[in-house]
Amino acid sequence: MNLEFILLATFLVLCCAGVLVAILAPDRRNPFALAWIGSLASVSILWLSVDVLVSGHTLEIPLWTLPRLGMLTIAVGRLSALFLGTAGIVFLAASVFSVAYLRRYLGHYSLKWFGVLYHTLFASVVLILVAGDVLSFLLAWEVMAIASYLLVNYEHEHEENTQAGWLMLAMGEAGTLAAGIALLILANSAGSLTFSKFAAGSATLAPGMRWAIFLLSFLGFGVKAGLVPFSVWLPRAHPVAPANVSAILSGVILNLGLYGIVRVNMEFLPMTLLGPGLVALILGSISALVGILYATAENDMKTMLAHSSIENMGIIVTGLGAGFIFTATGHSALAAIAFVAAFYHMLNHSVYKALLFLGAGTVDLHVGTRDMDRLGGLIKVMPWTGLFFLVGALSISALPPFNGFVSEWLTLQSLLRSVELDSAAIGTVFAFCGAALALTAGLAVTCFVKAFAMTFLGMARSKQVDQAFEAKRAITTPLGGLAVLCLVLGVTPTFVIPVLDNTLKPFTGASAAQTLIPPFFLRTAPAQLPPAFVSEFHDLGAQIGKGVVPAAGLVVLHRGAERNPVVFAMSTSYMFIVLVLLLAGSFGIVRLWVARKRTVTRRLRWDGGIRRLLPAMTYTATGFSSPVSVIFDAVLHPTTVEDTRETIHEHFRTAIRRSRQDIHILEWIVFRPLAAVAASIADACARMHNGRLNAYVTYVLVTLIGILLLSLSVQT
Amino acid sequence: MELTGIVEQAGQRWPGMARLLTRRAAGECELECAPSIAPDLCGWLFSELGYSFGTLIVEERKSEWELRYIFYGNSDGIVQVLVRQPLAERVFGSLIGRVHAADWNEREAEDLFGLGFQGHPRLGDFVLHDDRWDEGVAPMRKGVNGHAPHTKPRHERDWQPHLVLEAPGAFVMPIGPVYSGIAESGLFLLETQGEDVVRTLPRLFYKYRGIEKIAEGRTAADVLLLAERTNGTSAFAHGLAFCLATEKICGIEPPGRARRLRVLLAELERLRHHTGAIREICESTGLAVGTSQAAILEEELLSLSCAFTGHRYLFGANAIGGLTRDFETGACRNVIAAARNIVERLSELEEMLRFSSSFLDRLEDVGIVSQQDARTFGLVGPIARASGVLRDLRKLLPYSGYEAFAFEVPGEQEGDGYARLRILFAEGRQAFRVMEQAVDALPEGAVRTEAFESRPGAALGWVEAPRGAAFHWVRIGDDGAVARYRLATPSFINWNGFHLAAENFAFQDFPIIMASFGLSVAENDR
Amino acid sequence: MSDWVLRGLKTGIKTTRYPDAPETRPGISPGLPILGQEIAGVAELCPTRALLAENRCVTVDYRRCVHCFRCARPQDVTPARWQPGYEWAAVEASGNLERGVFGGSLHVLVVDAGDCGACLSEIAQLNNPYYNMHRLGFFITPTPRSADVLLVIGPVTDHMRLPLQKCYEAMPTPKRVVAVGACALSGGVFGPSFVAGSGAADVIPVDVLVPGCPPPPLAILHGLLVAVGRKPAAQITSSAGPAKAETVEVI
Repeated sequence: MNLEFILLATFLVLCCAGVLVAILAPDRRNPFALAWIGSLASVSILWLSVDVLVSGHTLEIPLWTLPRLGMLTIAVGRLSALFLGTAGIVFLAASVFSVAYLRRYLGHYSLKWFGVLYHTLFASVVLILVAGDVLSFLLAWEVMAIASYLLVNYEHEHEENTQAGWLMLAMGEAGTLAAGIALLILANSAGSLTFSKFAAGSATLAPGMRWAIFLLSFLGFGVKAGLVPFSVWLPRAHPVAPANVSAILSGVILNLGLYGIVRVNMEFLPMTLLGPGLVALILGSISALVGILYATAENDMKTMLAHSSIENMGIIVTGLGAGFIFTATGHSALAAIAFVAAFYHMLNHSVYKALLFLGAGTVDLHVGTRDMDRLGGLIKVMPWTGLFFLVGALSISALPPFNGFVSEWLTLQSLLRSVELDSAAIGTVFAFCGAALALTAGLAVTCFVKAFAMTFLGMARSKQVDQAFEAKRAITTPLGGLAVLCLVLGVTPTFVIPVLDNTLKPFTGASAAQTLIPPFFLRTAPAQLPPAFVSEFHDLGAQIGKGVVPAAGLVVLHRGAERNPVVFAMSTSYMFIVLVLLLAGSFGIVRLWVARKRTVTRRLRWDGGIRRLLPAMTYTATGFSSPVSVIFDAVLHPTTVEDTRETIHEHFRTAIRRSRQDIHILEWIVFRPLAAVAASIADACARMHNGRLNAYVTYVLVTLIGILLLSLSVQT
Repeated sequence: MELTGIVEQAGQRWPGMARLLTRRAAGECELECAPSIAPDLCGWLFSELGYSFGTLIVEERKSEWELRYIFYGNSDGIVQVLVRQPLAERVFGSLIGRVHAADWNEREAEDLFGLGFQGHPRLGDFVLHDDRWDEGVAPMRKGVNGHAPHTKPRHERDWQPHLVLEAPGAFVMPIGPVYSGIAESGLFLLETQGEDVVRTLPRLFYKYRGIEKIAEGRTAADVLLLAERTNGTSAFAHGLAFCLATEKICGIEPPGRARRLRVLLAELERLRHHTGAIREICESTGLAVGTSQAAILEEELLSLSCAFTGHRYLFGANAIGGLTRDFETGACRNVIAAARNIVERLSELEEMLRFSSSFLDRLEDVGIVSQQDARTFGLVGPIARASGVLRDLRKLLPYSGYEAFAFEVPGEQEGDGYARLRILFAEGRQAFRVMEQAVDALPEGAVRTEAFESRPGAALGWVEAPRGAAFHWVRIGDDGAVARYRLATPSFINWNGFHLAAENFAFQDFPIIMASFGLSVAENDR
Repeated sequence: MSDWVLRGLKTGIKTTRYPDAPETRPGISPGLPILGQEIAGVAELCPTRALLAENRCVTVDYRRCVHCFRCARPQDVTPARWQPGYEWAAVEASGNLERGVFGGSLHVLVVDAGDCGACLSEIAQLNNPYYNMHRLGFFITPTPRSADVLLVIGPVTDHMRLPLQKCYEAMPTPKRVVAVGACALSGGVFGPSFVAGSGAADVIPVDVLVPGCPPPPLAILHGLLVAVGRKPAAQITSSAGPAKAETVEVI
């Protein structure tokens, strides 16, 4: 009975208890109960994950054996622990948040039901991550799919919520089907359902089969991860769920898709072909670009965050694709860096996306609207929420010293490493994808400046804002915790990278930490760096903190090989210290010296001298992103719905009406043509139903004769 | 159509409702008509007979309202359509729908006199801003003291601008009233969705000085000071219009020398004004050397005006009955020589501007006013002539001896900023041509009539000011003081057409459209 | 593009040497009436009481002069003498304004509180090659937040009172206010009335007064130089009692 087992068991017991309490307790008490039990469950999972990651112990629990199929097991390794930890963080924040948030449903919807589904979802997520064989994996996956569908559809009185959830479920099931087939092929070649046997069994597969498994698993799990072109369900489903569920969907469920892709293509079937990596790279970049483009043009906070999730998943998959290509061409050190970047980004994304979704939920809870064209000036009333949302926005825009910067920097660096590949064609593809990611990063800044500024800064744009008030500590605490985590993950990359590295070393065979973190704090100079170079970095101060900080160094550095002897380095740790010192210094100088002789007066903003600025006179969210919309017109494909003007006596304008509708690019490129084809096929087949009894009897007769003939031929 | 023909036709169409009141000299006729058919009659004059709408003059007489609609046109003469109603009945029919050019006149009358115009959809908050004035204060009425300072309004009202853009994310960019570096005060609301500005809503009358009200009770000589300082950059023109009106009332005719010198000074002012407008256009497009070149010419014209008459803007040159001082022939010839040199350099500047493609790019197809719109809104001056409406009071209703001068009235068709610029250059050249002719045949004699008695009466004086047609209506009461002064300026008419040019444009073109219109807010607000 | 360069070079230097040397080009200023015995005869012609002769004491108050020239061109009476010149700016309190408060450059905000256009046009001439205030370190700024000096023109109409007040309050200290033109000093021919005030001093504290209708660009330049303490102020009113009919020179 080791620690890991106890923790896992505690977790499952807590989830069952949660379900029971949810059913038995009155609705009024339910949020409280959910928060407590959910938090405890998250804490136990977090503890389990940290323990496994740090110590490396694995947990293997055989459940029972199925004849001729293999053993059903529970297996927790470092990879699962990483995903479990991420899930734990998000569920912890969401659970604490639920205490205050769920009160809005009191009396309207059944909170018992919510509690049941919440704990079921948590349990199913963990079971997916700890499943050691195909059957339990798929079972838990289906439970997760149904639970998440029901939670998305929680506010079932709105018709569009049901449709959104239905689309998610349908597409998810289609993806599960494909992924399931991939897993079954692997099981077949391994002769057993247990995951641990897959790697050995798949070594002999032919390239054709490898391609099939890759495509099935990548596209199948890609639906769940929200990859283009299968991401149409994401912007519909994530916004309509309650805010805590949205955070879980974006922060945990999307990761499950990545989990599937990674386990199949890194562990079960290590990449030997070049093609799959390219597919991943290209699809990832396109996802990123399409996602952020639609996020920038979107005015509803949660829909914007949903599109942004597509973007982040795209970045992660780009990193994975780069890693696959490096693995296939034998550059295992570079592959390690790319995978570390991807997983770091996954971890970061869960943290800041949960923060942003919970923040959006807070705004929705207190103001009553999510439309950025109606918000504004909230920072005066909700300063803490605004501050934490700002931290989330800075993180997702990849600005130092927050976590988004580190993982995007690593991703872009790994793309730049393509210089070491032999093939110029692949290098060109890398270049284009790198450019797409850079464009994405720029658009992300635009998008989140708009999100933060239009919501919190400036003037209120509608009367609804007047009723807002600062959130209670039950809400600001999880937001604050996630914000602090964003900063911590950003400032301590040299601690996080070794952890990720230990997780991934078995799959890549090389150590990223050794390449990325030169041990400047150790007395002897590191072996792989030339001494002149080391001394240069010492002159730059790379040894500050030696003896104080328990790590190899605080600088993340990569030095190219002979073909490309360039050094890329960054250190958010030192950056953070310098930032703090500069801020404190300038504050001190101004306060103590400059302001001594002068008085500071506060006056109203300068407005040209008019009597009062009206709410209509502030920049709107649509106006802010309209340059982007105009430039990317060809992609956004707007159709003008209305462009009319009304006049009295022909010269007094009473109204000028303009409105337009954007059709998502995936819809007009992929789905509308597909739907048209499917409809035409269906029409052709529908001619079978002509309503005549004679025809139907003929069908029966033909089928009967056909089966008889078939059985005869089989027998002979 | 001859004026007699108009009277006959009007009598036929609306029997018993319209009658000829008086026929004055120089082709002015006064047609009284019943209030109920006034909109139809005016519409007929405007649409079918092709008259232009000058202005609406509202007078509160002893027992009735007198509304006087001034029309002038291609044929000779001015038609004044007079509508009378007892003081207690303050609602009139609106000309909207038939003569759209009367729009701002009616709004002004509603604000200042408290009249109602049935059928006008946009009355309220025009001259008197809602946030400073209570509803129902009609300061132009006889009982209101024009010298008592205005106190705070009893009820604080917020102005609600009439915004029309209904689109997701539509908002308004407020510009003003204090904006830019050196600009007149006025508020402009630009409605936009984020990229293009869809519509401009100007809110003027921040500079309303109540000239028409404070003129009442002053002597004509003092009101001449007010007329000159309505708009300092066209002071001579407005002063001249006032003098012409007053001279008609008092029945005096300035001597020939005075009339020709008046023409000389008026054209000098026009030349200087247009050079200044050219400078502003160059400045708005950011063409630094062009701006400096035009500024040099403007300063030379200002210095020339000062050296010649004693004031850079020709203040104090006009007097009722002539001019306040005489000018030696030598000085006149020097003026012509200096002006000739300036006009030559102005033409060189035009040549250079014609070949500056970056400059033209910002003016061509920017701020277009179509000919149809110019006619409907009754635009006047260089702006209208750039859109193909070629009406010039110096040719239509010659005054101060203009009939004896040979000059052209340039016109363009495009109606964009570049067309307006070309008109400015062409009119400058024509102005110099007139100046030359004025000095060439300058008769000897006095420059001012003998002393005269002012007598009661009313008359209309008009002038083609640098910005367009201006009409001054003066009524002198029994006590010899001015009883009513109506000041209809070209900017008042043209500002109503500004929004036509400022629709669906990129925000950075706004100063260029403003500069190419070259309108004066002071002249509009009075 | 080179055409413009050649053209500019060909035009040469037109800039005045003021304030280092007085400007003598003809037509730069309409001048102002000066005190003299003959003023008593034309004082009643003045429409704004800029010339006042009462109790056998004659006063000239330049704040009220609107350049109507009635005292210069009267019919049948001795005209008043006018003196050319342009250094007319005076300070509100006696004495001169402190030098060096604003450093080397000055940012000027122009607020039009109802002027007729002539004062604004003269201010616009300050940027032309003849006067070129940039060489003195004076710049026009569109926002009060970065303005040192507030230049007010117009009698302050009712609708512009609030904007003018807001402008003044939005300016950071140190700040100076220069009232330019007869309207801003005394209401000119327009105020006080039901919509026009009697000058900027009604609304905000004024430091420098520049008389004229409109004051020529060099007078406005002198006003700005007085505002930064680079030139001494002039007198804005002068009076002479009956015993001594001396002239008080105002340059």
